[in-house]
Amino acid sequence: MTSTACFIIVSRNDIPIYEAEVGSAAKREDAAQLHQFVLHAALDIVQDLAWTTSAMFLKAIDRFNDLVVSVYVTAGHTRFMLLHDSRNEDGIKSFFQEVHELYIKILLNPLYLPGSRITSSHFDTKVRALARKYL
Amino acid sequence: MADPASTPLGKMLLEEITPVVMVLCTPYVEESCLKNGLSLIQLLSPFCDFTNIDVPVRTASDQPYRLRKFKLRLFYSSDIRQPNLEVAKERLKKVITHVGEKNFLESSDPSQVNNLLSRPESEMLPSWFQFFNKELVRTLSFSDHEAFDHPVACLLVVSSKDDEPVNRFVDLFNTNKLPSLLNDGAMDPKIMKHYLLLHDNQDGPFNKATKLLADMRNAFGQNDCQIICFNSSQDGKIHHQDNPWAPFKSDALPTENLGGFLNLDDLNEIKDFMQELSSKHIIPYMEQKIRVLNQQVSATRKGFRNQIKNLWWRKGKEDTIDTPNGPVYTFNSIESQIRILGDYAFMLGDYELALSNYRLISTDYKLDKAWKRYAGVQEMMGLTYFLLDQSRKDAEYCMENAFNTYLKLGSAGRRNTTRCGLWWAEMLKTRDQLKEAATVYFRICGEDTLHSAVMLEQASFCYLLSKPPMLHKYGFHLVLSGDHYKKCDQIKHAIRTYRSAIPVYKGTTWSLIKDHVHFHIGQWYALLGMYDVAVTHMLEVLASTHQSKTTQELFLRDFLQIVQKTGKTFEVLKLQLPVINISSLKVIFEDQRTNASAAAARVKESLWRSLEEDIIPSSTARSNWLELQSKIMPRKYKESNICVAGEALKVDIEFKNPLQIPISVSSVSLMCELCANPEEDANSSNNEVQNNEDRTSTSSGDINSCLILSEVDFSLEGGETTVVQLTVTPRIEGILKIVGVKWKLSSAVVGLCNFEFNPVNRVVRGRRKQHSPSSDLKFLVIKSLPRLQGFIHSLPEKTYAGDLRPLVLELSNQSKSPVKNLKMKISNPRFLYAGNQKELNADFPACLKKKMNVEKSGRHANVNKTLQNLYHFPEDISVQEETSLSWPLWFHAAVPGNIPLYITIYYEMEGVSSIMKYRTLRMHYNLQVLPSLDVSFQLSTRPSRSQEFLLRMDVVNKTSSECFQVHQLSSVGQQWEISLLQPVDSILPSQSLFAGQSLSCFFMLKDRRRSSTSEDSIPSLSHIQSDVRLGPQDNSEAFFDVSSSPLADFHDCERSSRGMSSQGCEYKVDFVFITQLLKGNSDSSSNTPLVFSHHACDCSPSSMSPISWLVDGPRTIQHNFSAPPCEVNLKMTITNSSDAIASVHINTFDSPSSNNQLINDATTSQPPEHQSGWSEIPIVNDTKIITTEALTTRVPKSLSLESVPQFIWSGTSSTKLVLQPRSTAEIPLQICVFTPGIYDLSNYILNWNLTPVNDGENQGEANKSSGVCQGYPYYLSVLESNFKD
Repeated sequence: MTSTACFIIVSRNDIPIYEAEVGSAAKREDAAQLHQFVLHAALDIVQDLAWTTSAMFLKAIDRFNDLVVSVYVTAGHTRFMLLHDSRNEDGIKSFFQEVHELYIKILLNPLYLPGSRITSSHFDTKVRALARKYL
Repeated sequence: MADPASTPLGKMLLEEITPVVMVLCTPYVEESCLKNGLSLIQLLSPFCDFTNIDVPVRTASDQPYRLRKFKLRLFYSSDIRQPNLEVAKERLKKVITHVGEKNFLESSDPSQVNNLLSRPESEMLPSWFQFFNKELVRTLSFSDHEAFDHPVACLLVVSSKDDEPVNRFVDLFNTNKLPSLLNDGAMDPKIMKHYLLLHDNQDGPFNKATKLLADMRNAFGQNDCQIICFNSSQDGKIHHQDNPWAPFKSDALPTENLGGFLNLDDLNEIKDFMQELSSKHIIPYMEQKIRVLNQQVSATRKGFRNQIKNLWWRKGKEDTIDTPNGPVYTFNSIESQIRILGDYAFMLGDYELALSNYRLISTDYKLDKAWKRYAGVQEMMGLTYFLLDQSRKDAEYCMENAFNTYLKLGSAGRRNTTRCGLWWAEMLKTRDQLKEAATVYFRICGEDTLHSAVMLEQASFCYLLSKPPMLHKYGFHLVLSGDHYKKCDQIKHAIRTYRSAIPVYKGTTWSLIKDHVHFHIGQWYALLGMYDVAVTHMLEVLASTHQSKTTQELFLRDFLQIVQKTGKTFEVLKLQLPVINISSLKVIFEDQRTNASAAAARVKESLWRSLEEDIIPSSTARSNWLELQSKIMPRKYKESNICVAGEALKVDIEFKNPLQIPISVSSVSLMCELCANPEEDANSSNNEVQNNEDRTSTSSGDINSCLILSEVDFSLEGGETTVVQLTVTPRIEGILKIVGVKWKLSSAVVGLCNFEFNPVNRVVRGRRKQHSPSSDLKFLVIKSLPRLQGFIHSLPEKTYAGDLRPLVLELSNQSKSPVKNLKMKISNPRFLYAGNQKELNADFPACLKKKMNVEKSGRHANVNKTLQNLYHFPEDISVQEETSLSWPLWFHAAVPGNIPLYITIYYEMEGVSSIMKYRTLRMHYNLQVLPSLDVSFQLSTRPSRSQEFLLRMDVVNKTSSECFQVHQLSSVGQQWEISLLQPVDSILPSQSLFAGQSLSCFFMLKDRRRSSTSEDSIPSLSHIQSDVRLGPQDNSEAFFDVSSSPLADFHDCERSSRGMSSQGCEYKVDFVFITQLLKGNSDSSSNTPLVFSHHACDCSPSSMSPISWLVDGPRTIQHNFSAPPCEVNLKMTITNSSDAIASVHINTFDSPSSNNQLINDATTSQPPEHQSGWSEIPIVNDTKIITTEALTTRVPKSLSLESVPQFIWSGTSSTKLVLQPRSTAEIPLQICVFTPGIYDLSNYILNWNLTPVNDGENQGEANKSSGVCQGYPYYLSVLESNFKD
């Protein structure tokens, strides 16, 4: 089964610092920008919801047609946003939690400026591996 | 909350859900009305809306209430049918297109999101949405499942011109002509009738009409007949101030005078008629009907019994009904009656009654599975709840229910869904639930893309207006809407929506989004033929590095196509392709400093400045030399740079292609302004003209103009970066300003980049600190000056260390005036220095050889110059106009490595320019010197004779292929005599060192000064043996003269570069080892052999440890080991050769491991400079002076592992003694041996410490004040001697 999944990390300034198409569906040119559009639009909802709960995992917060946006907000208000069409909430939660750990490791790097783009290839491979595992 | 009726939705409902009056009229009536440019309905419509009617109404309850607002809707009988779908669609499309055209022209871009939000709400929301929504709702009128569009009354109108009006009235209400809905039973055909006689005053007198009215009254009843006289004005010139018909005739031309024949009396008459019709006829009729229906409903459906019965009855009916729309209800079925009752009550404002009936009927419909009707009733319930302003939840629930039910119906309920959604969204908007409203709008979107587009746009505005504004959603929905518009070919709308989205995405780093928006706007503008605007948008996406290759190609191709279509070359100020790295901008200009090559220009200015410090006149070097000229030069040019007319200014600039696809860039050139010196033309306006001329000439790049600009073409592969050198050559004096750079992308677009706009990080090799960036690029062009060009002939780029050769420096003067007072400074005199002019044509290498008549005069002249690295050319040397000067240089590759050579030549011009008196020529070369021979010398004293030394020379050929022919070894100075210990032939028969081969030679070195005092008989004074021939002995070839130039000079340089004074110390010897590389191997420039000289300085035994010692004792001992252990007595003689008091500490170790350990500690923990003999090695690269001490520290590691000690040091394990300067002491040592064997007695350490006698005397030795020495190997053989006993 092919699934769409687009994972983006958005810094607290609404700047995407990491993007990855982790779905198994064949990549399409126009899909990528649609995903960005949907995720970008979902930021408004995150803004509303993030302060209503103490949980980091906000679950599915927005949808566009059959695409669902799940969001995980870290303490530093960095948002992990996953656009997906599967219904595996537990998997998504685990995925977010593990990515959070990876992200913290990135943050611990003294050479990494928080809020700047994550260019680590190690991080990228790890995230993709996690996506294969959980999504 | 405000009164629901006054909200937009309330107003809309009160307008739309009102009683319908069917109008039937004769052609004459229409004819009369058309005189005013209006149809009958248009004529009457303005007077159907009563805002203050104040009629008492009593419906089902006994309590009357007053109705204040009332409205009638008039329709021709032909219009009372379900509107044609296609026509309706077409009309809507026209509405949208019309709005699109209108808005497109007057739209102005809000550039900032804040601006967007700061505008008042009414302005933000386009007004045409309301209109569109209304139109959309109207397409659904006269649907069969709702009753509020059923005509309540019928208005029959006959003109007085008609013959037999009474009969006409009867004819009009002929069932054949009635709308089908009335005939097929969906609507009640028995409706109230009202008869109106219309009298046109232009047609004739009023009398006839009154008579007709009387007839009518007789025929149809007293109350139901009325007459209206109109068109009272004869000339039709009456102009109505605020035209009441305008809203009802949308397609009216502005010039048309509507109602021109109607005077005030006519209007009043019409008004009165309509009021009377509604208040006296229609409302009472409706009241009546409500009461009747209510009674009927109560009788059949109210009460417990009826309900049971109803349920039972419906259950039984269940399986028979299976039509998709549920059962067909005629107007007189009880369900329809209830619905009519509800709708009438709703229209009369009795919402409670309406609601109770809706509730009643909705369950019935639900049970009957008449879903459409059910949804319709639910919808009405929702609206009723809303108007009652009671339960929001219920209202929303009902609307959602209705919406979903319609949705379930599929395409049949599609338009009903839209209407329901619109009302629902309006309802939510009224309650400030804008987010939910937006969701509803979004859900309305269906198959009809055009409607979806409008709905999405409305949704986007909901997001914008919500508190806080949800801008991300706003942008997204605008873009979605734009896409839908595009699908319906509403390009103008599409562009409008996208453009409104731009402020949201402005400055965003969500690059795909940004590219998408700009690219599509650009494309669409291009479709509309507005290429200029299209280009500006396409520019935004050009440098999209993150996109895939195909997308980049697409962007670039489309961009170029659009540019082509514009039919002109665009000049774009911020063209991002290719990217110009402004910080890489480097201006190379030559004022008084000129560069011989591009390499010289790249060298740091500070390096040159330090080099030139002492050759350029101090006044100009230190202070601003322009100050001398301040009288003739305006102040503001003081800070500008100077360049010379006719000499090119070079600008290095980096271009980068950010894309993955290749791009071609052509005609890259600088943009410059050159204006003549303001001094020269006093008239400022004249100057202005000149300036303008120059501007134009620069753009055309004309050769004849006063500027010559270079043009560069290149193409960049994906991701490639290239540095381009652009030049501009001013040809006249004046002020030159480099404004920017321009280039042509794919020979279509001209990109401009202005340097002024980016004043950061400019790397300009300017004179001193630059004050403002603008002055960096401003140059004062002065009259053309002589400029020397310099070149060193045949300077090798790659050579072997030790290479010694003559070179020729050629200086040429292309100008018309001579230069003089030449001076030259070379950064690295170890490698290069200037020779004498007479050496220019000298034969090499013969000139290096010893002459028969030895003259030393040349040497001292050179000493001074080499010390300062500065060479003054003789006074009489000058470079005449258009000639060149050659000068010999000596080159010696002193050390291996990559060696930069900097040469600066100073020269003066005479009387050419008042501004510039002198110039410098800077030359820069990079040499690669490969290691050739590794020569090391080892000098050891012969203990017996202090004036004789043993010299060991180790030579290793480090090259991979070259074969060196050894020639000679010379000691520098006169006091040393050197001789071979064994003939060279025995060690090196071929006299050649092949690649990788090593050679060790031993020499005897004699201090001639001492030997001459003691035994002066042996060396003959005439033959001074300071050179040893290592080459073929039979060769009569002369020695190379190490005491004359250039060898001696280079030797001095070597010495000084190693931080040694040029005066040799007493015990120190310098050696020069000379080899030759025979030709035919590598360089083939000449047939003469290359000469290599290797210099070693300050070889001396005294550079070793000041403490030396000798262990003396028996070498072989025979002992009977059955007896007590064998004791061996040894003697250690310690010599202090230094001038200081030494305290020596001898430690002995029994175990070799601990000994070894300690030594290792000592060597590692102590910094190398504390060990004498080590200090020089890391610095000196070409020769290694291996001292004995250095050797000994290596030895024990190998030895101590092999030998197992079977002896101990007896006596003290540590001895300490103090040695006076230059004295010797003896210490007895004893060991005890237990078994026979061969012992190495090296396991001891000498720690020594110097205490200088006089601090000031010998500073050089001060740092060698202490050290640790490992013991020498001393082998002792102990044999068993049993047989002796």
